[in-house]
Amino acid sequence: MTGTMPLSFLSPGTEATVVDVRADGGLLRRLVAMGIYSSSRVTVVCSDRGSLIITVAGTRYALSKGMAMKILVGGYTHETPEQLTGERAS
Amino acid sequence: MKKTIRIALAGNPNVGKSTIFNALTGSRQHVGNWPGVTVEKKSGWVKYQDYEIEVVDLPGTYSLTAYSVDEVVARDYIIDEKPDVVIHVVDATNFERNLYLTTQLMELGVPLVMALNMSDMAEKAGTAINRASMKKFFEIPVVRTVGSRAEGLEELLRTAVQEAETSPHHEHAIGYGDAIERTISGLVTALGNDPALAARYPPRWLAIRLLEGDDNAKGKLSGSPAQAHVLALLNTPDLAETEAAMADRRYEVIAALLPQVCTTCVKEMNSSDLIDRVITNRYLGIPIFLALMWGAFQLTFAVAAPFMAAIDALFGYCAGLLASGTVEPAWLGSLLGDGIIGGVGSVIIFLPNIFILLFILSLLEDSGYLARAAFVMDRLMYAIGLPGKSFIPMLIGLGCNVPAIMATRTIEDKNDRLITILINPFMSCGARLPVFVLLAGIFFTADAGTMVFFLYLLGIAVAIGSAWLFRKTILPGKPAPFLMEMPPYRLPTLATSVRHMWDRGSMYIRKAGGIILTGAVIVWFLASFPYGVEYGSAESYAGMLGHLLQPIFAPLGFDWKIAVALLFGFIAKEIVVGSLGILYGAGEDEGTLAAALLADPSFGPVTAFALMVFVLLYMPCIAALAVIKKETGSWKWTLFSVGYGITVAYILALIIVHIAPVIIGRI
Repeated sequence: MTGTMPLSFLSPGTEATVVDVRADGGLLRRLVAMGIYSSSRVTVVCSDRGSLIITVAGTRYALSKGMAMKILVGGYTHETPEQLTGERAS
Repeated sequence: MKKTIRIALAGNPNVGKSTIFNALTGSRQHVGNWPGVTVEKKSGWVKYQDYEIEVVDLPGTYSLTAYSVDEVVARDYIIDEKPDVVIHVVDATNFERNLYLTTQLMELGVPLVMALNMSDMAEKAGTAINRASMKKFFEIPVVRTVGSRAEGLEELLRTAVQEAETSPHHEHAIGYGDAIERTISGLVTALGNDPALAARYPPRWLAIRLLEGDDNAKGKLSGSPAQAHVLALLNTPDLAETEAAMADRRYEVIAALLPQVCTTCVKEMNSSDLIDRVITNRYLGIPIFLALMWGAFQLTFAVAAPFMAAIDALFGYCAGLLASGTVEPAWLGSLLGDGIIGGVGSVIIFLPNIFILLFILSLLEDSGYLARAAFVMDRLMYAIGLPGKSFIPMLIGLGCNVPAIMATRTIEDKNDRLITILINPFMSCGARLPVFVLLAGIFFTADAGTMVFFLYLLGIAVAIGSAWLFRKTILPGKPAPFLMEMPPYRLPTLATSVRHMWDRGSMYIRKAGGIILTGAVIVWFLASFPYGVEYGSAESYAGMLGHLLQPIFAPLGFDWKIAVALLFGFIAKEIVVGSLGILYGAGEDEGTLAAALLADPSFGPVTAFALMVFVLLYMPCIAALAVIKKETGSWKWTLFSVGYGITVAYILALIIVHIAPVIIGRI
C-alpha cells in the first residue's frame, strides 16, 4: 500500500486524490453526494491533530479525525507529510 | 379563472434557497411541520399572471438518498405530492458541487428549472456559466438569479409556469453503461409487474435506488407482488461494486459536462483559507470563540436593558390602572393585574434579551462562523461523548431552551440528538437570571457578579457531566464523527438575520405564550382561593400546597413559601421571583422583597445559594418540556428529564447546605 494513507495524516496545503472511502451505507452515500469519492481531488486547508478542513471542488468541509481516517488518499503533492510521525501512535 | 400550480424548491444547503423562497413569497408564508417528522415545512404563495402559485421550500440536501430525515422528506415530497415543477436552486459561485443533486433530480423525472443563484458573486469572481449549453446538455431551462437582491425572480416564475404547462417532458437520464443498464431494465420489468407500484414511483428511479442499496427504497417494496422477484434480482454478490460504479458514472458525466458549460469553474478559492487557519487554530480557536461569546452576552444585556425598562414601565402602568380599582368586579381586576400581568409580564420582559441573543447568533451563523465554532468545539465535545454539532444548541440554550431544543434537528444520529436534548435544560436560560440577580444581589452583595458567573459555569458543568453519564449508562455509543460543510464567509444581510431571528424567536412567543398564560391563571387561582383568603397567604390553596410540600424541602432549609415559589417556577422559572414577592407580601417591588427576605431568620446566604442552585437545575420549565415531548416524541424521556433534573438539583442543594456552612465557618 505504498503511497496510500488516511487523509487525516496530510498537512495543510497538501493536495491528494481519494483512493478509497472506508464507510458504508448512508455515510458513504452522503460522502459521495458531498463530492468525496474515489478519484476526487482534495486539498487540506488546515489541520489540527488529525481534524481537518478540506476543500473538494471548491466546497469546504470540516472533518473530525475519525472521519478523516476513513478516507484513504494517494498521489499527494508533499511526499512526507509532517504529521505522519507522532500521530500514528494515537 | 385562476390556475393553481405547485412549485418545490430543492437544493444543497447554503445555496440561498431560503432567500429565494422569502423573496418569492414575501409575507405570504406558512411554517408547519412535515407529516410525521419534526422537520420544518415552509410553504408560501405568490401570484404570477393568471397563476396562483404555491411554493414549498424543501430541506437543503446534498442528495436524495435516505441518509437523514431531511433527504427522505425532500424526496418523498417530490414523489408523493408530485409538484408541477421543481426549481433546483444552485450556487453559481460553486457550481460543480451542486450537479450531483441535479443528476438525482433528473432521475426522478420531474419537470425541472435550474436557478443559478448568487450569479452576481460568481460573475464578480470571473465565473462564466454558459446557460445555453447547460440547457442543451441537461435539457433543463436555466435562469440567472440573485436572491439577496430579488433579481431574476420574474423570469424564474415565467420559466417555471412554462415548464408546468409543457408536456410531455424530455427525460434526460444518465446512462450507466451496458452491464448496469441491463440490470436496471431487468428491475424495471420486474417492477412493472406491480402496476400500482410503478404508477407511484418512477420505475427507473426506484430501480436505481434499489441498486444503490437504499433501505428506504427497499421498504417501498414491502407488500408488493413484485417484491420477491425484485429482491431476487438484487441478490447478487457485486452489488457494492455496482453502487460505487454508479456514483463514479454520475461524476464522470458531471466532469465531462463541466468544461463545456463553465470554463472557469475548475478553480481554487483561497480567500477564506487564512481566516479559517486563524479561527480554527489549535491554540487560538477556543479563545477566539470565548471572546466572541463574551462579547455577545455583554452586548445582549447592554442593548436589552432600555427595552426591558420600557416593557417594565408599560406593565407597571397597566398594573397600576388595575390596582386603582377601576375594573369591576374586583376578582377580575385581581386576575388581570396579579395573575396575567404579574405572570405573563415577568416572561415578556425577557423577550428583548432572547431576541437580541438570537439575532447575534443569527449574525454569527449567517456569516459562516458558527459552523467553524462547532468544528473548533468538536474535539472537546467528542471527549464528553457529544458530537460537535450539539454545541450550537447548547449555546442557544443560554438564551432560551425552547429554540435550543428545536435546533438539535440538524444532528443526524438519534442518540446524539437525544443526549443533546436532555442536557439542554441545564444551560442557564435567560429566565433564571432574574432569580440569580435578586438572590445574589441581596445575600452576596459584593460578589454577586462572581456568584452569577459561577452558576452559569455550574450549569455547563452539570450538562457536560450528565452527557458523560448518559453515554456511560443509558445511551451508550460513540458520537457520530464530525462532517459538516463550512459555508464560505459572507457578510450577513440585516434582512436575512432578522428573519432568522424571528423564525426562532417567534416560536418562543407562540409556544410559550399560551402555556405561560394558562399557568399564570392557575397560579393566580391557587393563590386567591378558597374565597375570602388573603392573596397568597398560608390559608390559600397555594399556601396549603406549600405546607404539604415543605417536609420534602425541609432538609434543604426551604420553608413553605420557597416550596410554593418552586412549584410555580415550573411554569416559567422567573415566576419564582414574582411568587416570592407575593408570598412575602411585597408585590413585584424588589426593594421591599429584599428587605423582607433579609428580615426572615430562616433565609441566609446558604439557603439563598442552595435555592439558586436548585432553581438552576430542577426540572425544565413547562414550555421546554412541551418541546422535549414534541422533539423526542416520547413521554418516557420527557418524564425522565423532569425526574433527573429534580434529583440532580436536590442532591447538589443538599451538598451545599451541608458543606457551605463549614467553608463559611473556616473563612
